[in-house]
Amino acid sequence: MKVNKKPAVSVGGASSEQPVLVVDKISKVYQTNSGSLIAVDGMSFSVNPQEVVSVIGPSGCGKSTLFNLIGGLTPPSSGKISVSGMPVNGPHPSISMVFQEESIFPWRNVVNNVAFPLEINGVPKAEREEHARRFIQMVGLEGFENHTPSQLSGGMRQRVAIARGLASEPKLLLMDEPFAALDEQTRLLLGDKVIQMQQELKQTILLITHNITEAIQLSDRIVVMSYRPGRLKRIIDIDLPRPRTSEIVSSEEFGRYVAMIWDDLREEASKGMAAADSARATT
Amino acid sequence: MANIANTNELKANKTGVSAKLIVRIVSITVVLALWEGIARSGLLYKDVVPTISAILYGIWEVLADPTFFRQAGVTLGEITLSVILGAATGITVGIILGSRPFFAKIFEPLLHYLAPTPKIIFFPLLIMWFGIGEGSKIAMGTISSFFPIVLSVASGMRHINPVYVRVGRSFRATAWQQATKIYIPAMRDPVVNGLRLAFGVSTIGVLLAETKFAQSGLGFMVTRYYQQFNMPSMYGIVLIIFAFAIFVNWLFGKLIVEETQ
Ligand SMILES: Nc1ncnc2c1ncn2[C@@H]1O[C@H](COP(=O)(O)OP(=O)(O)OP(=O)(O)O)[C@@H](O)[C@H]1O
Ligand SMILES: [Mg+2]
Repeated sequence: MKVNKKPAVSVGGASSEQPVLVVDKISKVYQTNSGSLIAVDGMSFSVNPQEVVSVIGPSGCGKSTLFNLIGGLTPPSSGKISVSGMPVNGPHPSISMVFQEESIFPWRNVVNNVAFPLEINGVPKAEREEHARRFIQMVGLEGFENHTPSQLSGGMRQRVAIARGLASEPKLLLMDEPFAALDEQTRLLLGDKVIQMQQELKQTILLITHNITEAIQLSDRIVVMSYRPGRLKRIIDIDLPRPRTSEIVSSEEFGRYVAMIWDDLREEASKGMAAADSARATT
Repeated sequence: MANIANTNELKANKTGVSAKLIVRIVSITVVLALWEGIARSGLLYKDVVPTISAILYGIWEVLADPTFFRQAGVTLGEITLSVILGAATGITVGIILGSRPFFAKIFEPLLHYLAPTPKIIFFPLLIMWFGIGEGSKIAMGTISSFFPIVLSVASGMRHINPVYVRVGRSFRATAWQQATKIYIPAMRDPVVNGLRLAFGVSTIGVLLAETKFAQSGLGFMVTRYYQQFNMPSMYGIVLIIFAFAIFVNWLFGKLIVEETQ
């Protein structure tokens, strides 16, 4: 087990080993009625090609804010983000976002949802549908191409969202708690699907989560965030053998990682709970 | 347990439906019988309350009138054009109001005040601007249909799930792609509902205008029958308009149901 206290930001170096994502001293301050709120405070880390990195932290610590900063939907207050060496100033074609909320379009069937990014880029209908089918198959939804979202389960809908994210063939797939609304079993099985997909595409992934099991199951490295201000607490390397399946959850190694991350998180989560309690007390 | 409860519910529902149907048939029959009774009793002036058979004959007479279909065509054309113009302006202004809180704060309260105002009060003005021909009728219908459309589009726009807009932005959709691929499909329900209401009020507006100053249209026919004191035909044409309105409303209803399925 290796624990990096300091985030390693390797800028430059050999072009093949150039990180896909570099987050450099990024901060976000929200101006609210009750003053300014530091949601993300000077975070730095990078994600290398084909790596799966998770960002974990208690509810309200600024994970979605970080997600929106990297996705270019929210401008940072300070700091820089770059993808494959190019600066991110707004939504970037090399990044696909899978949102925390249910985000597939209820008025489109599965194929047309998955083909949406290609449609936006002007890919002809036949071509983009064929392309979409490939990713629908990859997330295990073949046979459901013509179903509407209302005919699918919650887990299937999130898989459609992931397929849509993959369809634009991004350098970085950015996911914000994609399985948060699902039950534990579905979550573990979907984790297996994501691992399979990642292996097949060699996809670089940044996954945001508050689920320890999910983070360890899927990641090469885990970025632990602190609560208010949202800072980088530490980065943990996960040295579990690959390919992994959900069976790994019951291994002893796995348990040690859980204990270690929980140790970090407990402190932060209790800060979060205390803050929520005092907020409730004052209102 | 759940199953039993379910079947009970189903049964209750079934009897509910047939009970509704029976009540409906009975009440219509009672109204028709009362009408016929009053008409035949001679209590009221026979021409004001004609017998049902006379009204049926009236309907036939209206349909046999060689000018009827031309007049109906005029009215239908006026209504259609009104709804199209009302939709074009209403959707445009509605999108602006829905996306710009600044304008919404200034103009939406005004629209809410004007919406329930009977638009016929503008008719004298419209006659001055557009003449007594079809122009003023179309203007009347357009004003009427503008309000329900603009209000439902503005509020529909505000109720769009913001995550859909963020998905569009994240895949770098242009403003036009956002409008056509996200806003409009996401607002289909409120738009169809607005159009349905618009159809209703523009029908009222156009027909009302036709009964004032006009040389053609179904509203004009109603007043002409009235002036000729041809009550059976007047009732006849009113029933025909009624049936037509029900039909179009049913059509819109189907559109909405299809969407939600
Ligand atoms: N647009 C905004 N304006 C003001 N404050 C905001 C805004 N968005 C988020 N915040 C605040 O910033 C903090 C971090 O929010 P964020 O949504 O990033 O947390 P999170 O870690 O994703 O939480 P969760 O796990 O519940 O999704 C919260 O206190 C939140 O209230
Ligand atoms: Mg979040």
